[in-house]
This record gives sequence, C-alpha cells and structure tokens, in this order.
Amino acid sequence: MSEARIEGYARALFEIARAEGTLDEVEDELFRFARAYESSDALRNALTDEMVPADRRQGVVESLLGDRATATSVQLVSMVVGSGRGRDLPAIIDRLVARASQSKDLAVAEVRSAVALSDDQQGRLRAALADATGHEVNLKVVIDPSVVGGLVATVGDTVIDGSVRTRVDQLKSRL
Amino acid sequence: MNLSALIAAGEIDPARSIHWLWPAAAELIYGSLASILIFGLLFKFAGPSVRKAMADRTAKIQAELDASAEARSSAETEAADIRRAAGDIDSERQRLLAEADAQAAAMLSEGRARLTAEIAELEARAEADQAAAASRVGDELRTEISRLAAEVSDRLLADTLDDSAQQALIENFIQKVGSSS
Repeated sequence: MSEARIEGYARALFEIARAEGTLDEVEDELFRFARAYESSDALRNALTDEMVPADRRQGVVESLLGDRATATSVQLVSMVVGSGRGRDLPAIIDRLVARASQSKDLAVAEVRSAVALSDDQQGRLRAALADATGHEVNLKVVIDPSVVGGLVATVGDTVIDGSVRTRVDQLKSRL
Repeated sequence: MNLSALIAAGEIDPARSIHWLWPAAAELIYGSLASILIFGLLFKFAGPSVRKAMADRTAKIQAELDASAEARSSAETEAADIRRAAGDIDSERQRLLAEADAQAAAMLSEGRARLTAEIAELEARAEADQAAAASRVGDELRTEISRLAAEVSDRLLADTLDDSAQQALIENFIQKVGSSS
C-alpha cells in the first residue's frame, strides 16, 4: 500500500476515534494489537490470507478483541482487515498513534520489556524519557520476551538500549 | 736398270767396271739428278699432305693431351668436391651432434627447472592447505565455543534473571535515562 493510502486510513481511524471520544483507549488498544500482530505468524496469516473470506477474517478480529477492547477499536480493525488491508495494519496503527500523540504534543516512546512495568515505573520512565529527549512522551510498553531483561526505548529516531539481549549479543559477537 | 741387271744382261762386265760399287760418273750424275728431282717432286707434292698429316696427328695428340688434362683437372675438381663434401658432412655431423647435445642439455635443464617449480608449487599448496585446514579447524572451534558459550549464557540468564533481577534492571535503566538528561 502506498504511503498516501496508509496515511489516509490512519487519518480516518484517528478522526473516527476522536469523534467517538475514545482516542486514548483506541490508540492504546490498537498499538497493543499491532504488536501482537507483528509477533504472531498465525494471526498475521489469518488476517492477510486472501483465500479466507473477509467476514471470516473480521470474525477472527472480533473473537480476539471482542471483550478486550472498546467497540470502536474492534470495528476499526475489522474495517481495515475486511477491506483487505490487513498486511498494512501495523503501519496504519503506528501512523494513528503518531497522529494521536502529535495532537497532544507528545512524542511516541515505545518501550520493550521482558516483564510488565508497574504504573509507578511507567510514570518514572515517562518522566525520565521526557527529560532525556526534551519532549513529553506517549509511553507505549510492549512485552517482548526476546529482550530477556532490561528495557529498550525508542523515541522517534533515538534508541536507548539497556536490554540484556543486546549485551548477550555483543558478548556472542566478541566471542 | 741397276747394276745387277746390267751384269746379268751381259752389258756390263763386272771385270771392266771402274769400281764394283760406284757406277759410272754420268750415271751417278743422272741418278743424283733424278733422285733430287724425285725428292723435289715428293717434297712439293707429297710434302703438304705429309705435313698436314703430321700436323693433324700433332693436333690430335695435343687434343688428346688436352682432353686428358681436362679430364684430370675435372677428376681433381671432383675429388676436391668429394673431399670438401666429406668435410662438410663431417662438420654437419659435428654440428648436428653439438646441436643435439645442446638440445638435450636444454631439455634436461628445463625439466629440472619445471620439476623444481612443481615441487615448490606442491609444497606451497600443501602448506596453504595445511594452513587453511588449521584455520578452518580454528574457526570451527571458535564457532563451537561461541555456540556453547551462548547456550551457557542463555541458561545462566534464564536461571539468574528472576523477578528481582528484572526489576533491578528496569530501575537501573530508568535511573540511567533520567540521569543522562
């Protein structure tokens, strides 16, 4: 899909969520769904297989998000998947999150961790990243076991890597 | 008519002869004149043909002498040619032998040089193979050590990264990011 079309979808989702008044919840839920989509081959195949009818793919989305997300989130993802744009779902959602953060004058900070962060840790991390980058950040925590330990924070083009996985990889490389 | 015939005919009496050997004077004169005439005629008419025959014979003998000399010269020339040819053959044989010796020496030298080069190449290749094998074994050993170390480090991490360690890592990260501003 072209950049313009991805941007068009993102803007449409953004406007719908803002009109519904659920922008914060929707962008947070969709961000988590996009990360799950990226990490699961089975989910990706199920939502992008052209041989599977659109209503079946939408049924998969509803069964996954039905009781875990707002109705707006479910309907937006279902719309994208039903229109055959499932392959571009992460890009559309990332653009939506960026647009939502920009509307609040925030920078998106994606933080990957092997374990969940407490609210206190998220608050302190948000403040630390804001101090480090000079921007208030919209913190998005992704649970990623491949990190092994520590955190990897990405704010725009800046990557702050404090993960055990990277250190182990560096050690392996030296070996 | 000679004296014997005259005597036999009885015209001369040997007893009345002046001399038993010498004729009479007139006869001597006439006889001499006749002989001179005969000799003169012979000289005049038979002389040229005799001289010609003699000259022809002389020329023939001279021609035969010349032919003999020419044949001798030709034979000597041919003999010289044969001797020179024999000499040439000998020198050609010497040249061919020398050339064959030179070629054999060159081939021998070239063969030795080629063998030396091949031996050097084989030695270099063997050394290179040996070094490559050693390097390959070293690389395989390093790879295996790295793999084992990675496995061990993953196991150690899995065993040691409990919840408190995870929290410590997270707090450490937050502290570092906060202090870097």
